[in-house]
Amino acid sequence: MIFRKSNSLTKNKIDMLLLLAMLGIILIGALCIMSAASNVSWHNSVVRTHLIALPLGFAAFFSGWSINYQIYNEQWKKIYAVALALLIGVLLFGAYQRGSRSWFVLPFFSMQPSEICRIFTILVVAAFLDRKKREIQSISTLFKTGLVVLPIFGLIMLQPDFSSIVVTLPALFVLLFCSGARLLYFLLICLFGGVAGGFVLAWTYLSVHPELLSNAFLNIIYTLPQNFLHIGIFVFIVCLLTYAIWWINRQLYLGFPSVYFALVAFVIILGFVGGVVVEKKMKPHQRKRVETFLSPMADPHGAGYNVLQAQIAMGSGGFLGKGLFSGTQSRLGFVPEKHTDFILAVVGEELGLVGTLGVLALYLLILWRVALIAYLSSDYYGYLVCSGLVGMFFTYMCVNFGMLIGFVPVAGIPLPFISYGGSNLVASLWALGIVQSVYARRLSV
Amino acid sequence: MKQYSNLRLKIFTIIATLVGGVIAFKLINIQILRHYDYLKMAERNRTQIFYQTAPRGNIFTSDGYAIASNEPSFSFYYLSVGKKDQIYLEQMARDFSGSLHMEVPEVLEKLKLGAKTGKAIEVANNLSPKDTVALRELQLYYPEVYLLESTKRYYPYDSFASHLVGYLGDFGETEWRQRSSYEGYRLNSKLGKSGIEKKFEKELKGTDGGVFLEVDYLGRAKKIMEDKPWVAGQDIYLTINFDVQQAAEIGLKKSKTGRGAAVAIDPRTGAVLALASAPDYDLNQFVSYRKGKEKKTFKKINEYNLAVQGIYPPASTFKVITAAAALEKKILDVNRKINCTGKYDAGSRIFKCWGVHGPVDFYEGMSNSCDVYFYAIASQLGPFSIEKIEREFMFGRRTGIDLQGEKSGNLYGPTRRARNRSYWFIGDTLNLSIGQGELLVTPIKVAQFAAALASRGNVYKPYYIDKIVNPTTGKEQKIGQTEILHHANLKPETFDLLFKALKYTVDKGTARRVKIPGYNVYGKTGTAQNPHGPDHGWFMSFAGKEGEEPSIALAVFVEFGEGGSTAAGPIAQSMLEAYFGIKNREKNDI
Repeated sequence: MIFRKSNSLTKNKIDMLLLLAMLGIILIGALCIMSAASNVSWHNSVVRTHLIALPLGFAAFFSGWSINYQIYNEQWKKIYAVALALLIGVLLFGAYQRGSRSWFVLPFFSMQPSEICRIFTILVVAAFLDRKKREIQSISTLFKTGLVVLPIFGLIMLQPDFSSIVVTLPALFVLLFCSGARLLYFLLICLFGGVAGGFVLAWTYLSVHPELLSNAFLNIIYTLPQNFLHIGIFVFIVCLLTYAIWWINRQLYLGFPSVYFALVAFVIILGFVGGVVVEKKMKPHQRKRVETFLSPMADPHGAGYNVLQAQIAMGSGGFLGKGLFSGTQSRLGFVPEKHTDFILAVVGEELGLVGTLGVLALYLLILWRVALIAYLSSDYYGYLVCSGLVGMFFTYMCVNFGMLIGFVPVAGIPLPFISYGGSNLVASLWALGIVQSVYARRLSV
Repeated sequence: MKQYSNLRLKIFTIIATLVGGVIAFKLINIQILRHYDYLKMAERNRTQIFYQTAPRGNIFTSDGYAIASNEPSFSFYYLSVGKKDQIYLEQMARDFSGSLHMEVPEVLEKLKLGAKTGKAIEVANNLSPKDTVALRELQLYYPEVYLLESTKRYYPYDSFASHLVGYLGDFGETEWRQRSSYEGYRLNSKLGKSGIEKKFEKELKGTDGGVFLEVDYLGRAKKIMEDKPWVAGQDIYLTINFDVQQAAEIGLKKSKTGRGAAVAIDPRTGAVLALASAPDYDLNQFVSYRKGKEKKTFKKINEYNLAVQGIYPPASTFKVITAAAALEKKILDVNRKINCTGKYDAGSRIFKCWGVHGPVDFYEGMSNSCDVYFYAIASQLGPFSIEKIEREFMFGRRTGIDLQGEKSGNLYGPTRRARNRSYWFIGDTLNLSIGQGELLVTPIKVAQFAAALASRGNVYKPYYIDKIVNPTTGKEQKIGQTEILHHANLKPETFDLLFKALKYTVDKGTARRVKIPGYNVYGKTGTAQNPHGPDHGWFMSFAGKEGEEPSIALAVFVEFGEGGSTAAGPIAQSMLEAYFGIKNREKNDI
């Protein structure tokens, strides 16, 4: 058994294990941020911001814990409205920094509304699905959920804040998965994602390795998105193949419903078109990241430099690390974004394997406790919120660790509780507060 | 019972745990298994090293002259701090260009690079102490420049013993692949390319020191981590006697053709006292200081070491062998006179002598190098006895000296000829008796032969490296030692008579030139007939204080020198005088 039932019988108001894991990870994070920022010129501002964000975050945690989470369920439309208002507001009044308009800059602090909107999105979608729980298996629910999140995503894309989407989409996916939606739809979504992503990766890979184009088959694949004739031929071949398989299916009386074939064909074509769109719309720096991910050693001084330096930092840390404040890679500036996106490299360098495995273990502990609380929750809404949040933290973990070990392209996503970033810290602590709130009210009906 | 499924939540939790496990494995791989690779990379990232080349080990002669040493060389660095505007840099470039032997734009380019990046830039290297005088003065006005001392090879006597010492050079591609495996070399390191410099590269090379700077990702220096001192290389002591070697080299240079070789061996040990080969080359041309813009044009390197690679007929010096064979076989009555009419009738052909000597006995025959005398005894003796003695002294074999490309020469005799499935004629016997014909030797072979005579039969393997001394610990490592390849088993009376004849040659005969009062000097000249041009001159000698064993044996060869006595004699004379410390000649400095 993954979840022990005995826990549900005690009347704790707070999950101590989750709290301790949270505090531990915040401590490691604070130390590493101080170390990572110890010799940058804006050192004081980093430490000050973090020291201001911590009490704010704890306040958010306590408010999340003390407020009954069911209120979010009742007031979901207002939360939805606030989220949209924040995102529209940032587009109108936000400051334009580093190629995107995603910050409110106020005299004393600045905040990133998309961070808090990730939590809002999960709350809103959970509330929506709670209302649809009787028809959770129908496809229309899925489409309606899509319609609910579409405005939020649209507004985020306008900023644009690609990393918010990268985190929120998998979180929603996990949320939908745990809500009990039909597996077929997940398979179709996976097929869509696989086809779209696969084509994009294949095209990028072929563009990095032009020598492979001498192969006729690969050459045809590479030229697919280049004009409408090729796209049309691809669509035609997919339809033909589907029809052929359907025909065999009918002749052999295998009995698979015809609609499945239509759906599969449709999704493959949709995925392909999506891939073509992404391929055409991808920005140069995003393409560079994908290229770097596919062949990291191709350009060690260019795009691959960051990942390589981060790995050198981690690897040179060894088992016990070089000690806080004495990592050469981070202190001398070889690791880029060392106090935000690449903070794990600093952990690895200065605290060694003990540090990275410690962070990983604490993360897994948090995931496990949040999942357990989802299981313990007294109602479907609490269950959905917690599974959405567990999905979100899981995505954070995967992307951050995966980026360092070369499994995932560099996405510029902070690691909650560890990375520097006030908005993210406050939002993440609030999320855990909500989880604690679910835990505290697990026995009320 | 809850109304919703939590099976999926469990599935998800399991997936998350598995992902965590994969991440953990990968982390262990990076941080434990590949830790040292990454640590090395991290160290390389953060350190910038300004190397200071360690002094190579000195090479000393047996009497303590350093024939290869080191001298200071300086590198000039610019580390931008403070002012970096164009006018200032241009001024700076103008001020420095003269002392750096560089053009102003070239200097300016480097300074600009340094100012732009904030890195420490090496503007110039290999500067002489003379250049640094001006640079140090300019340092007072420009605090951002630094001079870092290093060393470079220096040969105080330029071409002295160049064929033994060998020269230094830059890394070639193959050498880099071979050597880079063991530490301490950099791409601009010099390494030995030939001779001792190459053979003892490992011992001579010290450990380079350097200033280790910690730099950030832009290469800006943060602090000095370590100022590592260099460790000098080990010193090598040769058995070469400076004066004798110098006398030989001057003599060869001044000789008629300037081509030849002189080798002196201590007949008591087999240690080489001098090994000179002309033409030679200037060792310093490969390691000179930075000099202006003109392209370095190396003089032609005469790597051909005539002393061990040149093969020539030994000519009359070989008559000693013929005489020894006759004495061994006891067919020679030393007092019997043979009339030299200037020619010898061998039946089918008339063999000529180089003069008309009239009736000569053994001593006169030897001292006048009368060919007819030796024709006569050789035809009586037969070729096999001569070849036997020839083999006793190991003609036709390498001496085994530790020098590259030594030639073995050619043994000449009836059994050798038989191996080639060819006939032996009476003319061959006569040619053999006076050291002509197919017999070929190297100058060092003749010196070895002289030493064997002087030591009454010890055919040594000559050596010229005495020991390696670690200057810091004082530890000595003996390298060369006496090695007798073969003992020529001749009767003592034979040696007595040969010594007497060779002394007579010096006292009264063709080798009169090397007569030194108070010393027993033995010698034999030789003039090798050369069908392609002027004859070659040979001189073979050994000597010792009166009443003592001979302590030096030498062979001098002058290519196309015509007379053995006239061309090679003076060189042998000055070598012997240098060895015995007789200063009745004018001192010549190279």
